[in-house]
Amino acid sequence: MTLDVDALRPLARTYLERQPWYQATISVADATAGPDAPSAAGTTGPSTEAGAARATAVEVESAEVLRAQRPGLARFVLARGELRFQLLVGWRPAASAAEALRGGESALLGPCSDGDGPVLAYDALADDDLVLALLAHVTGGAERAERVRRMPTLVSHSSVVFDERLFMKCYRVLERGARSEVDVVLRLDEVGFNALPAPVAHWRAGGYDLALVREFLPGALEGRLLAMTSLRDLLAHAPAAAPPAPEAPDEAASVTLGDPDAEVAAAGGDLASEMRRLGATTASLHLALVQGFGEQPADASTFARALRREGIDPAEALEKAGPLDRGAAGSAIRLHGDYHLRRVMRSEAGWLVVGFGDDPLYGSTDAGTSLRGTLGSPLEDLADMTFSLRMAAREALGQRGSAETAAASLLADAWWRRNAGALVEGYLTTDGAVRLVPADPATRETLLAAFESARELRYEATPAEA
Amino acid sequence: MRPAARQLVTAAGAPPGASELSHVETTPASRPLLDDPRWYERAVFYELLPRGFYDANGDGVGDVPGIIEKLGYLEWLGVDCIWLLPFYPSPLKDGGYDVADFCGVAPDCGTVDDVVRLVEEAHRRGIRVIADLVLNHTSDQHPWFKESRSSRDNPKADWYVWSDTDQRWSDVRIIFLDVERSNWTYDPVRQQYYWHRFYHHQPDLNYENPEVREAMLSVVRFWLDRGLDGFRLDAVPYLYQHDGALGENLPETHAFLRRLRQEVDRDYPNRVLLAEANQWPVDVVDYFGDGDECHMCFHFPLMPRMFMALRREQRFPVTEILAQTPDIPDGTQWGIFLRNHDELTLEMVTDEERDYMYAEYARDPRMRRNLGIARRLAPLVDNDRRVAELLHALLLSLPGSPVLYYGDELLMGDNIYLGDRDGVRTPMQWTPDRNGGFSRADFAQLVLPPLMDPVYGYQAVNVEAEMRDPSSFLHWLQRMLAVRRQHPIFATGGLEVLPADNPSVLAYIRSGMGDGEGPERSVLCVSNLSRFAQSADMSLARWQGAVPVELIGRAEFPSVGEDPYHVMLGPYGFYWLDLEDWGQP
Repeated sequence: MTLDVDALRPLARTYLERQPWYQATISVADATAGPDAPSAAGTTGPSTEAGAARATAVEVESAEVLRAQRPGLARFVLARGELRFQLLVGWRPAASAAEALRGGESALLGPCSDGDGPVLAYDALADDDLVLALLAHVTGGAERAERVRRMPTLVSHSSVVFDERLFMKCYRVLERGARSEVDVVLRLDEVGFNALPAPVAHWRAGGYDLALVREFLPGALEGRLLAMTSLRDLLAHAPAAAPPAPEAPDEAASVTLGDPDAEVAAAGGDLASEMRRLGATTASLHLALVQGFGEQPADASTFARALRREGIDPAEALEKAGPLDRGAAGSAIRLHGDYHLRRVMRSEAGWLVVGFGDDPLYGSTDAGTSLRGTLGSPLEDLADMTFSLRMAAREALGQRGSAETAAASLLADAWWRRNAGALVEGYLTTDGAVRLVPADPATRETLLAAFESARELRYEATPAEA
Repeated sequence: MRPAARQLVTAAGAPPGASELSHVETTPASRPLLDDPRWYERAVFYELLPRGFYDANGDGVGDVPGIIEKLGYLEWLGVDCIWLLPFYPSPLKDGGYDVADFCGVAPDCGTVDDVVRLVEEAHRRGIRVIADLVLNHTSDQHPWFKESRSSRDNPKADWYVWSDTDQRWSDVRIIFLDVERSNWTYDPVRQQYYWHRFYHHQPDLNYENPEVREAMLSVVRFWLDRGLDGFRLDAVPYLYQHDGALGENLPETHAFLRRLRQEVDRDYPNRVLLAEANQWPVDVVDYFGDGDECHMCFHFPLMPRMFMALRREQRFPVTEILAQTPDIPDGTQWGIFLRNHDELTLEMVTDEERDYMYAEYARDPRMRRNLGIARRLAPLVDNDRRVAELLHALLLSLPGSPVLYYGDELLMGDNIYLGDRDGVRTPMQWTPDRNGGFSRADFAQLVLPPLMDPVYGYQAVNVEAEMRDPSSFLHWLQRMLAVRRQHPIFATGGLEVLPADNPSVLAYIRSGMGDGEGPERSVLCVSNLSRFAQSADMSLARWQGAVPVELIGRAEFPSVGEDPYHVMLGPYGFYWLDLEDWGQP
């Protein structure tokens, strides 16, 4: 049995062009390429109209049959200009395809032949049997599973959970050469950093990273959920409305709300110990990144560059920070680059770091511009996280709606101070971490605040993404 | 089944009040003991203080005959085994754990014959009885020690651990940090130091001496011959010490426990050894041996974490310790508890967690004892009945045999102004009458003053009132114990924590063959640790098609489909859902 690959080419093209993730990718790529270019490919490609048409046409770059017997499985790499997409195609006789897809008609590519007769071709990721076969293929037969659960699809990849035990990311938008996420995860694993879901298998073929299988930790929850739980507990203490006490307003305020910092520390849902632990995990992550990717001494230019990139004139912050000579400014290291409360998970074994690169074109789907792969001061990752804590506090206040009061607001501020402080303290008290950041505490604080303001500006520019 | 108790409730047409209560106490025995060598795996234990439970002879001190009088109540409640705190002759400098005669009963508690009668009467009601046994040490008033200290060459000279120096084993930690500065105390009579891991008036026995080992095995045989169903072994990790070790968990200690177990298994069927080893689960499992040491061990770290999880409104303190709990050998079981006669011990938490627990649960320094918090359950949870119910729901559904502490079924309070741990050992509150119905003696004669405060005092909180009130916590707990008994899966089933998507929701599955027969069953236990209503999704893919049935009211819940199962819970709410497919014939 051989699949009629030629017959599949037009079906694959049409299918691809129909996919929202494909459309999202090319629209961003075309926008990035600028108004003069016909497409993302146009920056390096031909400038004639015919060339432009070629650059926007979808071509099958390669195809490989992974499983010839029915249900069959093949992988396609499709090219549009410089962009590359992976499509996993499955096929079965029409009757069994309908059953396998359980009405998921949107996954259909169309009819073709596999040499034994007519079959229906479809997106293989919609077929449990084929997803299980793919797992066996990717892991070289080392892993088998029984149950498949699909996660919501993001632009760059599809994710599948097997038996609530393994997690496979199948990349849709491909990158030539080593993919940043795969590279970081494998290297961190190599240097013994274990606060991340451990890689189990990695699929690379034809010069592309195609899939990554990692352990799945079902009990792990986003840090954001813990933060919101803590805030909910705390803000429940705040009076729902300002007390009417015109004669002695100060006294009334002190009765209803004591020292907000003390209130936060005394709240049952206090998150500070968790944030200290997260700070320590962050420090271990940075130390592992240094081990895996090296470091350079930071100096004033490291910080100036980073602030300029955010559209901030660094002069004021640098002047306030004082001298940032080499040796006193810490290190420039490979950063996580998109480090916020949705990128850390609390598991039974402590904090885990995830999200080393989901969407190369977007940074990430929900957190604005990515700094992935850039070298910078670890303070940038820390600022990402403290800003994320601030956003959580704002969100919790917002959820109170009309019940938001001055008292609640004071409590939320105090919550942020305490937890951001605990995060930084946990970081700095981890063995070996303090040398990565500027030595002078006042300098550290100034720069952390500057980076946080930069995040704030970025958020204000694109609030929907935070 | 407990026909007598049920008959009582229905005959009265209402829950039994004061007059019915006395009827309970004289109800003929109804439930003979089953010949079951693994009874302890499904038992509900009830820890009681003989001196504080009921005073039958009116001398102001609770006694063994008093317990016999109240067996009807314990049977009604649904207790399977009573654990008696020490009743031995003792100078009572450590709640009776300073034993002066292992084969006697303190005169104010009764006689050996009373204990024999208690065991017989309890057995007739299907209740077993175990007692505290202190293996590690004696009182300094024990004749063995008096003889041992009298000279360096008497026949018992080597029954305790003597030394010319107090510098030996200086790395061994001191347990009662509040009062002891060293594990050695100088004896001016013998002019040597003696070793003691606990108070200085409790010298450690020398287990290197075979005569000591034989003497303690004789003590075990003495009580098992009189019908006791086993022992709660006090402070087992400390029996041996030697150079270069930290004086805990030594191989020789385990060898002695295996020897003890062999003796028990050989001559005394259906008995239990329950070890108190306040260690991390990974170390405690050693006390199960290969199923050839203790039948049961207490799971100490779980308890403070249940409280911590509730205060933080998130499940990780509990799920973390469950993840760190190893599997245990077949035929063994954990003992789990919310509160006991000691402080809420915080030895098995990190320093940071201890600070947190002190801040949350012991704001008044008087509430702190050693490394722990000396409070009863109700004051710990601010007398919030919903929290007490949720904690008991966890206690009854997590793996292990639950151990209740007397008075907590009433949500009794404590008295933090009493010394040491007496604050949680005040008399049981039976009625709103004088001395809470505990004793007919004059108030001044009482072993400890009963609580009289307006919230927890006996006028407000007592058995009689709660028996009369069908919606009391006591009735609620009695029903829950009955539900648990109907579902052995809670006792012997496996545990799988489910990943609910809400940190305030703790969900787990208990599953297995139940009582060893029939099809595999699964019960989903889902709890809301928050004081606010919560919802959560969890994956139940393996149970797709099942129609969950709530165990207490037998109400059907929406069937399990392909999508994550959605549960909504009120504040501190919980469900026990049987995942049996009730929709199918």
